[in-house]
Amino acid sequence: MGQLILGQLLNGAILGTLYGIIALGVTLTFGITGIVNFALGVFMMLGAYAAWYFTDVAGLPYPLAVPCAVAATALAGLVADQALFRFTRNNLVNGLLVSIGMIAVMESVALLIFTSTPKEMHRVLPGVIEVAGFVLPKMKVAVFGLLLTVILATYAALTRTWIGRAAYAYAQNPEAAALMGVRTERLQTGVVVYSTALAGLGGALYASLYSLEPTLGSLFVLKAVEAAILAGIGSVLGSLFGGVILGITEGVGSIYLPLAFRDVYGLVFLVAILLFKPAGLFAGRK
Amino acid sequence: MKLKIGLVAAALAAAVGTAQAQDVVKIGQIEAQTGTLATYGWMGHQGANMAISEINAAGGFKVGAKTYKLELISPDTRANPQDALIQLKSMLEQQKAKYVFGPFLTNVFNGIEPYATQNNGKFLLMGGATAIHAQLGTPNRDYLMRTWNWDAGASGFGQLMVDYLKKQGAKKAAMIFQNDAFTKVAVDIYTPIFKQAGIELAVELFEPGTKDFSAPLAKLAAGKPDYLFPGYTDAVLYDIVRQATETGLFKNFFLVRGSMAPGLKNKDLIENYIAYLPKYFEQAEKTEPKVKEFIAKYKAFYKTNDFPYDQAPLCSSSCYDHVYMLVEAMKKAGTVDDVAKVKAALMSTTYNGLWNIRYDATGEAVFDFDVLHMRKGGAISATRVHPK
Amino acid sequence: MNRQAAFFAVTAVVLLLLPLVIKSDVVMTILVFAWLQGMLAVSFNLIFGFTGQLSMFHAAAFGIAGYATHLSMQYLGVGYWTGTVLGALLVSVLSVIVGTICFRFRLKEFYFAVVTLAFSEVARITVVNWNSVTNGTLGINLQEKPWLFGFKVDDTVSWYYLSLVALAVTLLVCSRVVHSWMGRCFSAIRLNDELGDTLGINVFRYKLAAFVVGNFIAAVAGSLYAYYLGSLEPGFLSIDASLGIVAMVLLGGRSSVAAPVVGAVLLVSLPHLIHFSAEVRSIVYGSILILTILLMPQGIYGSIASLLRKRHAS
Repeated sequence: MGQLILGQLLNGAILGTLYGIIALGVTLTFGITGIVNFALGVFMMLGAYAAWYFTDVAGLPYPLAVPCAVAATALAGLVADQALFRFTRNNLVNGLLVSIGMIAVMESVALLIFTSTPKEMHRVLPGVIEVAGFVLPKMKVAVFGLLLTVILATYAALTRTWIGRAAYAYAQNPEAAALMGVRTERLQTGVVVYSTALAGLGGALYASLYSLEPTLGSLFVLKAVEAAILAGIGSVLGSLFGGVILGITEGVGSIYLPLAFRDVYGLVFLVAILLFKPAGLFAGRK
Repeated sequence: MKLKIGLVAAALAAAVGTAQAQDVVKIGQIEAQTGTLATYGWMGHQGANMAISEINAAGGFKVGAKTYKLELISPDTRANPQDALIQLKSMLEQQKAKYVFGPFLTNVFNGIEPYATQNNGKFLLMGGATAIHAQLGTPNRDYLMRTWNWDAGASGFGQLMVDYLKKQGAKKAAMIFQNDAFTKVAVDIYTPIFKQAGIELAVELFEPGTKDFSAPLAKLAAGKPDYLFPGYTDAVLYDIVRQATETGLFKNFFLVRGSMAPGLKNKDLIENYIAYLPKYFEQAEKTEPKVKEFIAKYKAFYKTNDFPYDQAPLCSSSCYDHVYMLVEAMKKAGTVDDVAKVKAALMSTTYNGLWNIRYDATGEAVFDFDVLHMRKGGAISATRVHPK
Repeated sequence: MNRQAAFFAVTAVVLLLLPLVIKSDVVMTILVFAWLQGMLAVSFNLIFGFTGQLSMFHAAAFGIAGYATHLSMQYLGVGYWTGTVLGALLVSVLSVIVGTICFRFRLKEFYFAVVTLAFSEVARITVVNWNSVTNGTLGINLQEKPWLFGFKVDDTVSWYYLSLVALAVTLLVCSRVVHSWMGRCFSAIRLNDELGDTLGINVFRYKLAAFVVGNFIAAVAGSLYAYYLGSLEPGFLSIDASLGIVAMVLLGGRSSVAAPVVGAVLLVSLPHLIHFSAEVRSIVYGSILILTILLMPQGIYGSIASLLRKRHAS
């Protein structure tokens, strides 16, 4: 039983970084543009299909396909921002509704292009490693490492570089930041594009582990939003921890209680957090 | 003079033209064509559409002295019973269709069933939904037929599959299925069959949308089963089989739904992959002329080089063969309007198309299928089974 | 008689006489669904448009009521109308619980949406898994029909009148509420609920009232809908269903009591009027949603109303 739990702890942590990178996108978008962008799930899906396409159809080596997929997703994010999201700044309800519209459109387009037949990437990094008696696929560990690096790098960039601190300043006090010379529109667009790039990266890595279908983003983004709220929307490191906590809770919870209720655990936990620590578990810490 | 003849000729042509336009038999199709549950409806649409175009291109079909053409009415239910009900009403009342294929989805069937039953005797509904099975043969359900075979029962394939599994020496199996309508029925069907065969069965259900099966697989592996019995759409099978094999937890698989693709993708890590498939198209293309012809026609008709091998087995329900079978039945019955006679003809015919199809006494389809056994490395041996 | 009242009177007469003119069962069926969805949309608007709370629990209220009505008829042996009242009462009790939790903890806007979503999902997952009671994903077939004044409400025209009357009652009730002192408190809360506190309004109580009343009406609509369709399924409680309600209100308009009905009529009938290929229709639906937000934030009814007002003023 102990091994079972350990295994789920490890697996949950890995899955958690995947939730975490999307949650990071959610949190950054909310902090700077004031909306919760559910459409990030669609960008994750775009990144995943792009990575699959570049690797299995165009024949690029996977380490090259991933940056290409991220770039493609970021470009799509830029277009979407200029055409749509730009008009929903700080309007949570409108942002939500525009996201829904976008999701419906993009999922249909993906369905038209790729059909509902699941796509599976060839094994990029086959093989497993054994950790304390529990077997983990090498690719999962690689994904974990990569996502962890990106999240920590984002944190570092936000706290050390000028752009990062400008973003923070803006998030705290938009007017003051503008007065100090921060180009707010550029900042907002930049953050949206970066968030979609993060989602694209998550999707591109997702593609190396799981099969693809047009609706893959929807469930993930819901979990990611849960993770972001759990940790305190606006906290960068928090989105990582929130994702990991969510991943672990689901995995370990599934051992003891019927798997069918897996989603309920996350929800109940979330509600409890929102009621008793509404600023999130990591409020105050950045 | 010439003008007069011209006018008369034109009038005659118009009259003949409109008369011919009346001789159209409308076929409705009530399936979800978009959304996560669209696979079943999609293949049904592809096949039926092609069959109808072929029949029309050949000049239609003759019943008695008249020649008829077919028209397909195929809206998208989006798996929404409200929309499906409105669409069915439109088909029956506005389009005056008497033959409707579908639905495959239980919730759609439940939504249209009261209205359909009210119109018993006015049309035929031929669908693959699980929920149809329980209603076949009950009072006021003469309109109802089920176009997919059933796992249990005298002609059921479930028993045959489990017998085959037993011959492999399996003592313990673990079932990992998605928590939905079909699964409830599947668990009810297979639990007694496994018990009777003396094979222990553990069951784990997961929520639709799950992608990471680490937890349920680890849980089931603890019981050290001989075979994993995963279900049932390819969308989840790809991930379950991959995650089960790459961690070395399972080497033997037993399936009653899904395609061979998940097995083939992991062929070097699998010892045995036993699957029920309505038809193994990759092989049938080489050994059966009708299948080869169908695939060639499909590619030409839809202008594509990709034939959906993984979805084609779903054409065993409310699809290509069934349109042709219906036309045969109308010819045999001598009528396109009297649905009771047409149904009687359907029930008394065995149709030989891609499949060998007949209907049992309650109106449920029985057709031949393949039992596929893939061994390590990807070698597949297929056994064709003809249910009694 | 002012213009608005005259407009409503004419509409009412037209709608009442419609079945005499339209003989198409298909059109009448679409209208029955439209009136029932309209009840949903109008009651949702009470919570969302007037009180400013984006609730994702509405579809759950709708779905739970259908199951509750059926179960009370089956296990308590009551008739349809008693069953409906019991179902609505159950939903009200649940609304009080959910609402108290949310509003006591002063959940704002987005977080309120998330928590109501969480409760809605828990409800849906319970329905899916409580097989012995709800038959899970296989759903339940409903054989009974309501009886009214000795008549069985079984055919489309009877349902048309029943649902039309139900919608009219809903509109009346909501209108009364909105134009009362309670409604003025709702408006104050919508604009700025912290301010509401300083003005001496018991914000908690009014938010809860709006939430419970809205869900009660949704429950009645849910019971009618389930028995019209003749079946129950967990899909009634899905997130998509909740989003569909939001879409109706958006399309129709938030600022007046009757505006959401326009959205309901449109969204129910549109898939059957336009015959695109399936995927294209999804794209059109998504695009309509986006364009409405960007170009017509007041919804169709609201935009037309303000256009007429401008013309009248000039």
